[in-house]
Amino acid sequence: MSEGGGAAGFLTLLRREVYRFIVLPNQTLVPPLVSAALYVLIFGYALGSQIKSVDGASYIVYIFPGLVMMNVVNGAYANTTTSLFIARHELFIQDLLVSPLSYLEMVLAYTLGGAIRGILVGLATLLMGYAILGVRIHHLGSTLFFLVISALTYAAFGNIVGLWAERWDHVAIYLNYVITPMVFLGGVFYSLKMLPPSWQAVNRLNPIFFTVSGLRHGILGLTDVSPALCALVGTGLFAILFVISVALFQRGYNLRT
Amino acid sequence: MSPDAPALGDGSGASPPAVAVSSLVKRYGQVEALRGIDLSIPAGAFFGLLGPNGAGKSTLINIVTGLASPSSGSASVLGYDVVREYRRTRRRIGLSPQEFNFDRFFSIQDLLIYQGGYFGMPRREARSRAEALLSRFGLWEKRHEKITRLSGGMKRRLQIAKAMIHDPPILILDEPTAGVDVELRRDLWDYWRELNAAGRTILLTTHYLEEALVLCETLAVIDLGSIIASGSRDAVVERAGGDLSHYFLKERRPGLVEVRG
Repeated sequence: MSEGGGAAGFLTLLRREVYRFIVLPNQTLVPPLVSAALYVLIFGYALGSQIKSVDGASYIVYIFPGLVMMNVVNGAYANTTTSLFIARHELFIQDLLVSPLSYLEMVLAYTLGGAIRGILVGLATLLMGYAILGVRIHHLGSTLFFLVISALTYAAFGNIVGLWAERWDHVAIYLNYVITPMVFLGGVFYSLKMLPPSWQAVNRLNPIFFTVSGLRHGILGLTDVSPALCALVGTGLFAILFVISVALFQRGYNLRT
Repeated sequence: MSPDAPALGDGSGASPPAVAVSSLVKRYGQVEALRGIDLSIPAGAFFGLLGPNGAGKSTLINIVTGLASPSSGSASVLGYDVVREYRRTRRRIGLSPQEFNFDRFFSIQDLLIYQGGYFGMPRREARSRAEALLSRFGLWEKRHEKITRLSGGMKRRLQIAKAMIHDPPILILDEPTAGVDVELRRDLWDYWRELNAAGRTILLTTHYLEEALVLCETLAVIDLGSIIASGSRDAVVERAGGDLSHYFLKERRPGLVEVRG
């Protein structure tokens, strides 16, 4: 009887988390690609011709990194919130709570599972952008960094909401009233330069603005703020949300009575 | 097992109890669900925990297994503290909770394999163990089915199999025969007797007094968050005037206090 159990327990939970979304592609993987394609159609072909280019890029190309980020954030967040909420609601979270998995391992597995979904959806969207719009990646390392850190961040945020939620309704609350407005007001569809100064300041309080700007720099080489600051904000936010997730598991918040 | 681990019920007097709780208190707001419980269950025992609904049986079990946190006091499993050394204690316990708690996502075979994985079992080992348990519990034909396709009795068998996937030295059964027909109940009794004879500790809570009398050589009766009687089966029965149900009948309780005093 080994005491640590090695990585087998952690890998089992991670495998479950990935398997769960892989076998439900019509709920998890395909819809974000469809919606990104619709945005490209509408903003690229229908409306795009009416909007002048931004920093030398056509409007649809300029907003494309934002569409990628939107899919990354939504995918990662949705994965951890729903998975954790269902596990609590149907009591099988107990299977983990009575197992020798450490709380850190549990949080790491959930977070990585959600992040992998976000990253896969993000990469698929990038591929679509290349196929339809011919968008080539300006800086691969920077692009991958912002994909990964954003996926991890919103997966970690999803852990917290997944623990907090008492009803399905609660799962939707943060998506509809927090994540979605933050994404839409996070510079997905516009450059900071298009805004009056006061709104520019408000935008800088929105963490998604920094991840969108960072990814835009990675993909297009264009940005409103320094990529280093974007990376700092992204990493810092992930660290905070991850530590909170671990602390909540450790305390047994809405897990143990 | 690592060298510093205590012996698991090797019969030597030095081995720590399978489960020991000391001054254990659990409060839910103003309600005291456990009021300073002391209890020691020797390794290798077949131990029955009896009491009416809401007495605190499940709360006690949940603290030992990790589903509830103690408000004060301590609990240990084979010498390890359930809070500080939770990974060690959880590895040594298999729990069959009162309510079904299945991950509906999987076929029943995969459910067992994944559960073994959470306990650190290599996949190949978890698979062969799952296959053996599915055969033992008559679930082999159903192994590729989802949970929703199982009858209540099958779910109960699967719940027991899940608790045993990592072959723990301690099996904790919370009302395991509720809603189970006579035939299956006898089969489960045989199974638990075999496990106990092979040296495993079994902690059973049940509403069926007959079940406790048939299976358990040691009993504790819990009510309103306190242990009101404990000891060998015969001693506990004797204190109730030969009828365990006296512990459960409200109108008899004043008399019971005298017994305790």
